[in-house]
Amino acid sequence: MNNFLNNSWIELAARWVLGATFIYASHSKILAPAVFAKIIYGYDLFPAILINLLAIILPFVELIAGMALIFGFYPRSAVLIVNVLLLAFIVSLSINIVRGHEFDCGCFAINAEDQSTFSGPLLIRDFVYFTLGIYVFFYRNSRRLCMGATEQ
Amino acid sequence: MKTVKEVSILLGVSVAAAFIVNYFLPDGIALVGQWDTSQGVVRAMAKNDIVIKGIEIDTVDEARRLFDSGKYIFVDARSPEDYEEGHIQGALSLPVGQFEERVAAFLERLPPEASIITYCSGRTCQDSHHLAEFLLEFGYENVTVFIDGFPGWEAQGHPIE
Repeated sequence: MNNFLNNSWIELAARWVLGATFIYASHSKILAPAVFAKIIYGYDLFPAILINLLAIILPFVELIAGMALIFGFYPRSAVLIVNVLLLAFIVSLSINIVRGHEFDCGCFAINAEDQSTFSGPLLIRDFVYFTLGIYVFFYRNSRRLCMGATEQ
Repeated sequence: MKTVKEVSILLGVSVAAAFIVNYFLPDGIALVGQWDTSQGVVRAMAKNDIVIKGIEIDTVDEARRLFDSGKYIFVDARSPEDYEEGHIQGALSLPVGQFEERVAAFLERLPPEASIITYCSGRTCQDSHHLAEFLLEFGYENVTVFIDGFPGWEAQGHPIE
């Protein structure tokens, strides 16, 4: 198992999966910030004054961290950011599952975005990504295909 | 320390890119949105925001008064399933997501001078404003939006079917 986890190809695969996922996730949010802001509003966890700022900034944090993972630019720091985001998503989803809060505005745009109202599968998915992130963070061998010096 | 520096660089680039893109993006949003339902329809206040305050009916009582006058046609912007489950009595269904397929039949049914009141699922929903905009584009002259929508109407015990 240790050999497997120390394999630099496995690290690369994990890093690329995380990177690609975050770039993909950022795409629709960047193009439609008003829809994303509405989704954040729907979580009912953030003060009104922060909702738009989160909707503007978060997708770009996902995009830049995702690109940094793919290109191996500051990969440990990038995966740290990704895992902090994942932890925030996990906590937000869990709070709303526990208090039974589900936002359904009955809006066409939100439904068309396929914002799943089933929080359970989302939570499991985020846990899987979080585990990948922990692995990439603690990986100690040299990393493949990194910009600049090989990162330890 | 190295990690703090790297994280700061990545976050700094993200924040800068975010504000620059949001500034130039046609769908960009304001720094602070309107998220208080007591102030009207909640929305991010995007550059291409379609909410027109001037055409809003913002109390259930006013909507009921217009309903009782019998001169207004209520048009439901929600999905056909929501409409089937319950709608304002006498309302026509014109789901905003199926506008293109359905507008021809709608045009045959209602003349352009008809007085139309659109509604959807209340103040967390902008679909009634989208529908109003479409109907105005298609030549309807008298279109207003009842922003409390079906939930507001139903909660006051007004006629539904």
